[in-house]
Amino acid sequence: MKQTIRPKRSLADDIAGYAFISPWLLGFIAFSVIPIFFSLYYSFTSYDILGSPVFNGLDNFRRMAHDKLFWQSLKVTFFYAFISVPLRLLFAFFVAMLFNRGTRAIRVYQAVYYIPSLVGGSIAIAVMWRRIFIADGVLNAVLAKIGIITDYSWIGSPDTAIWTLIILAVWQFGSSMLIFLAGLRQIPTEYYEAASIDGAGAMRKFAHITVPQITPVLFFNLIMQLISGFTVFTQAFVVSGGTGDPLNSTLVYALYLYQRAFKYYDMGYSSAMAWVLVLIIGVMTAIVFKTSTSWVFYESKEGK
Amino acid sequence: MKRNRMFMLALVALVLLPGLLFAMPAAEEKGGKEMRLAWWGNPTRDERTLKAADMFMAKYPEVKIESETTGWAGYWDKLNTQAAAGSLPDLIQHDYAYMLQWVTRNQLADLTPYIKDGTIDLSKVNDSFLTGGMVDGKLYGISLGTNAVCLTYDPAVLAKAGIAKPDTATWTWDDFERIAIEVYRKTGVQTIPFFTTDPRVGFEHLIRQQGDVLFGTTGLGFTDVSALREFYAIQLRLQDAGALIKPEVAFVSVSPEEGEFAKGRSWVEFIWSNQFVATQNAAGRPLELGLMPILKGAKAKGTYLKPSMFFSIPAKAANPKDAARFLNYFLNDIEVNDMLMGERGVPIPDDVRNHMATKVDAINKQIFDFISLASTNSGPIDPPDPPASGEFLKMVRDVTQEILLKRISLDAGVAKIMNEGNNILK
Repeated sequence: MKQTIRPKRSLADDIAGYAFISPWLLGFIAFSVIPIFFSLYYSFTSYDILGSPVFNGLDNFRRMAHDKLFWQSLKVTFFYAFISVPLRLLFAFFVAMLFNRGTRAIRVYQAVYYIPSLVGGSIAIAVMWRRIFIADGVLNAVLAKIGIITDYSWIGSPDTAIWTLIILAVWQFGSSMLIFLAGLRQIPTEYYEAASIDGAGAMRKFAHITVPQITPVLFFNLIMQLISGFTVFTQAFVVSGGTGDPLNSTLVYALYLYQRAFKYYDMGYSSAMAWVLVLIIGVMTAIVFKTSTSWVFYESKEGK
Repeated sequence: MKRNRMFMLALVALVLLPGLLFAMPAAEEKGGKEMRLAWWGNPTRDERTLKAADMFMAKYPEVKIESETTGWAGYWDKLNTQAAAGSLPDLIQHDYAYMLQWVTRNQLADLTPYIKDGTIDLSKVNDSFLTGGMVDGKLYGISLGTNAVCLTYDPAVLAKAGIAKPDTATWTWDDFERIAIEVYRKTGVQTIPFFTTDPRVGFEHLIRQQGDVLFGTTGLGFTDVSALREFYAIQLRLQDAGALIKPEVAFVSVSPEEGEFAKGRSWVEFIWSNQFVATQNAAGRPLELGLMPILKGAKAKGTYLKPSMFFSIPAKAANPKDAARFLNYFLNDIEVNDMLMGERGVPIPDDVRNHMATKVDAINKQIFDFISLASTNSGPIDPPDPPASGEFLKMVRDVTQEILLKRISLDAGVAKIMNEGNNILK
C-alpha cells in the first residue's frame, strides 16, 4: 500500500484561497445556492408571490399530469432541442473545418462569426427576426425575386413558427465553432502526414483521423448544447413577445415556467416545473454519458 | 512577521469588501426623505412623469422623488418581486385587472385617511370616477384618467368606398358587417380580427349587452353563449367573404407602426381611448374615433368608463405621507396637468378636465369628445378581474386563434372557452 503524501497546508493558505474567491463565492451563495434551496421548498407549496407559501405536498407535481400546456411545452422543447442541437453542431463543425486552414484573415472571420452568439438574445435581433419571417418580410421578398410569390406568415403560422427559432439557434453557432476549432488545432499534423504518405485521400483522412480525434470535443459540445437547448428562454420570449404564439407552438418549457411564475402568480407550480426540468436534463446528460464509451475516442485507452 | 500581518489584513479587507458593497444601498435608504414612484409607460409618458416629479420637487424641496419606470410586461414582474421582498415603492401605478388580487393579499393601503385629513382633495371628483378603485367601501386606488373601449377607423377609406360616416352612438353589428364587406368590395381594404391582443375586451362588450357579467364569483358570470358565439360568427362571416385579415398575420405581436391598421390594410382598429394618440401617430393619417357597435336586442350598455392608470400606496410603504401629497398634486394641480396633457387619459377632477378641454390639441380633443359621448352611452363598470384572469385571458386568446385558423369549429371553440374558463376560474 502506497501512502499518499499530502503537502502540509497552513490555515492561512486556506483562508487566502477562500478570500480571493470570496466575491464570487458570496455572489454564488446569495444568487444561486439560496434561491435553489428556496425553489426546492416552494415546489412543495402553493405560493402566489404576494402572500406566504402554503405547504401542499406533491400537489404541484400531480397537477402537471393534467396540465395540457405543460405537455405542450415539453413537446415544443424536445422538438426544439432535438432538431436545433444537431443542426447547430453540424453547422459549427462545418464552419470550423473551413477555418482550420490558417489564412491571416481567420481571426477576423472568427470574430465575425462569433457575433451572432453574443447578440442572439437581444431585442434588436428579435425585431429583425420578425421582419424576416412576417408575411411581408425579407424572406418572402427574396422568394418573390426568384418567382415564388407568397404571403405566408412564417412566424404567424403554428406549423412553421418553431422553425424560425431553430434557425435562430443554428445561426448562433459561434461558441461551439470556436471549441471545435480549438479541437481541430489539437490534432497532430503527423497523423495527416503519415496518412498522406500511405496514400489516403482527403475523405479517408477526414473519416479516420479528424472525426475520431474530434469526438471528445463533440461530446463536450453536445452536453453543453443539450443543456442550453432544454433551457432555451430568451429567444422564444423575445420573438413571440412573451406569449409562445402562435397557438403555443413556440411555448418552450422555460417560457411556460416563467408565465406560470410571473403572469399567473403560481410560483409554487413553476418551482416544481423547474425541478422537473433539472431531472429531465439530468437524465438526458446521463444517457449521453452512458453512450459515450462507445463513440468517444480517448487516446489513452487506445494504448491498452 | 510584519509582512504576514499586512497580508492577513489585506485578506480580511477582501473578505469584507463584498459585504460592505451589499450593505451600502440599504444604509443610504434610511438617510434622506425619499419618495419612490413607479409606473409603466412609454417614452412620452416617462418624460412627462419625470417632469411632473421635478415640478413637485421644485415646489416642495424637502421631498426627493426617486423614479422607477419600465414597460407594461416588465413592470408587473418587477412589482411582484418587490412585493415578495417587501421593498415596494411608495406610490405605484396600478391596474384594474390586478387591483382585487393585491387588495385581497393586503398589499395596498386604504386611502380614505388621506382624504379625511385633506392630504388628497377629491372635492372636484365625481363619485362615479372613484368606484373603480373601491373594494368593500375602501378606496385603494385613484385613477389619473378615464378610458373607454373604442373603435377607430379611417374616414378616407369610407369616403373612397362611398360610405357615409356611421353614427357610432346608434350603429349595430349588422351595420358594421355591411360596411366592412362593402369597404372590401369597393377598395380591397380588409377588416382586422377583433382585439387581437386581448379578445376578451371585445366579447365582454357583447356579453355586457345581454345583461351578463364576464366573471362570476366562482367561474364565468354567464351561461347564455349567444353573444360569445356571435363575436366569433361575425368574424368568420367576414373571413368567408375574404374581408378579414389572415389571423396568421394579425396575431403576430408587433409595434403599432408595424400593425396592419397603420399600414392601411385594415379600415378599422379596436383600442382603448388612451391608445388613440399612439395609434394616430403610427398611422400618420386622420382617424375617427367611435363607440363599438350595438348587439341586436341589447338589454344593457356594453361600454363602460374604465379608470385608467390607478395610483396606489402599498400597505407597507416607507413614506406614504409624501406619496399621498404627490398623488394630490399629480391629480389636482392645473399647472402640472397642463404639462401632462391628459397622456394617462381624461382627468377626473371637473375643474382640471374643463380647463384641459380648452387647451388640448385636435387629437386629444377627439378623445375628450369621445369620452363625453361614451359617458352618456355607458353602463356601470363590473367588479375587478378575479386572480385567475391572467390564465383565462391566455386561454381565450389561444382558442380565438384556433377558431379563426379553422382548427376547431365555432361551436367547439365556444364550448371550450366555457368549459376551460369555468375550470380555470373555479
